[in-house]
Amino acid sequence: MDSGLNQPWWIDLIKALIVINLVMAAFAYCTWLERKLLGRMQLRYGPNRAGPFGLLQPIADLVKLLRKESFFPANAIDLLYIAAPAVACFTALAAFSVIPFGGVWHVGDYVITGWIANVSIGLLLIFALGAIGIYAFLVGGWASESKYSLLGSMRTAAQLVSYEVSLALSVLGVVIMGKSLSLVDIVAEQQATIWFAAPQFVGLLVFFVAGIAETNRPPFDLPEAEQELVAGYHTEYSGMRFGLYSTAEYINMITLSGLAVTLFFGGWGGPWLPGPLWFLLKLGAFIFVFIWLRATLPRLRYDQLMRFGWKVLLPVATLNALVTAILVALL
Amino acid sequence: MPLAALDDWFPFLVYGFFALAIPASLIAGSFILATRPKTTARQRTIPFESGVSVGPPKQQRFTISFYLTAMLFIVFDIEIVFLYPVALWLDALGSFALAEFGFFIAILAIAYVYVWKKGALDWRT
Repeated sequence: MDSGLNQPWWIDLIKALIVINLVMAAFAYCTWLERKLLGRMQLRYGPNRAGPFGLLQPIADLVKLLRKESFFPANAIDLLYIAAPAVACFTALAAFSVIPFGGVWHVGDYVITGWIANVSIGLLLIFALGAIGIYAFLVGGWASESKYSLLGSMRTAAQLVSYEVSLALSVLGVVIMGKSLSLVDIVAEQQATIWFAAPQFVGLLVFFVAGIAETNRPPFDLPEAEQELVAGYHTEYSGMRFGLYSTAEYINMITLSGLAVTLFFGGWGGPWLPGPLWFLLKLGAFIFVFIWLRATLPRLRYDQLMRFGWKVLLPVATLNALVTAILVALL
Repeated sequence: MPLAALDDWFPFLVYGFFALAIPASLIAGSFILATRPKTTARQRTIPFESGVSVGPPKQQRFTISFYLTAMLFIVFDIEIVFLYPVALWLDALGSFALAEFGFFIAILAIAYVYVWKKGALDWRT
């Protein structure tokens, strides 16, 4: 993309402020949607007391979490115990910054781009931030000095690193076809040719399955297997610190859905409707599938999880990358 | 590296500042707004033990399999680090890059088969 756009610094500031609040609002109503949908799928109503259709429920939850006692285990390591959830939330929020949600608008003399940052290594940046996010889970569980927390955080770390390999390999095909690591360029390439969901169907499948595991969603929610581990790495957390972990988890889900839309489904591109609306629709479809899976599938056993990640997803992702490379280089 | 390339990162820094400010303010808010317990007892603050409270664990142990998984991750993550640049330039470099790509994956496949045969990919506790 051309970098000679007329963008004073305050446009970046205002845009960042608006988008981050939109992401937080999307997270809040993601929790509402999940509870509502799960309720309907289990023939219940879901939250319906706070406001019409329970629409004020996220706000009530926020107030409750803020007012809860800042509980502090006796043996916890102070600074790490408090900082870990904030780091988890930070990495989850920051990863959204490179996902494009719209095209370029001209308002007066100024140019407003539909993305926060268009860095040349956008895709790697998301993976890098996700890798830092693993530290937040690991350190948080370790610093609370409890058996369940420690085991939960070890499980989380092992699961996340196992599936991160498949996740990063599954988008290799997209990188080969898009010829860029910048997500804006990848979307532009898809609009010029074809949505990568068609040629990269195997990549999409691997990406989606690995993505569910990366965000600790069912059926891969082993880190929080409540029958075995109480609550996993956040056993000793309560109040807003627990809230930040759950924020991180939901925002990771949103970011991952956004990434899937960007890499495989043409990003914000689509006929008739404006770009951001298309992006939101596709994002919503992915989040619906995430919630649907939670209502449908039972949890895996831990050895099954590891076997599936290393023995099925990894070879399939590698073969997909190899076949894509051969086809792109020879055709 | 030209300085103009760093301009791309400015919006990310701005956004990252807000991404840091939101969790930090929520943590601070939970300190200010949270209710305080009227009485404190030691039993409340010892780690959760599902029934039997024996106090904090003396030493924390976990199975060696986690370590093995971490080592495997390092091996395959380095593979990915090497594959990304080749993938990026595959179209431009053509058959040379493809040969490199295939050669690299072939070496990796040998290691993968070895690890599989050794049973390192099975989860053992």
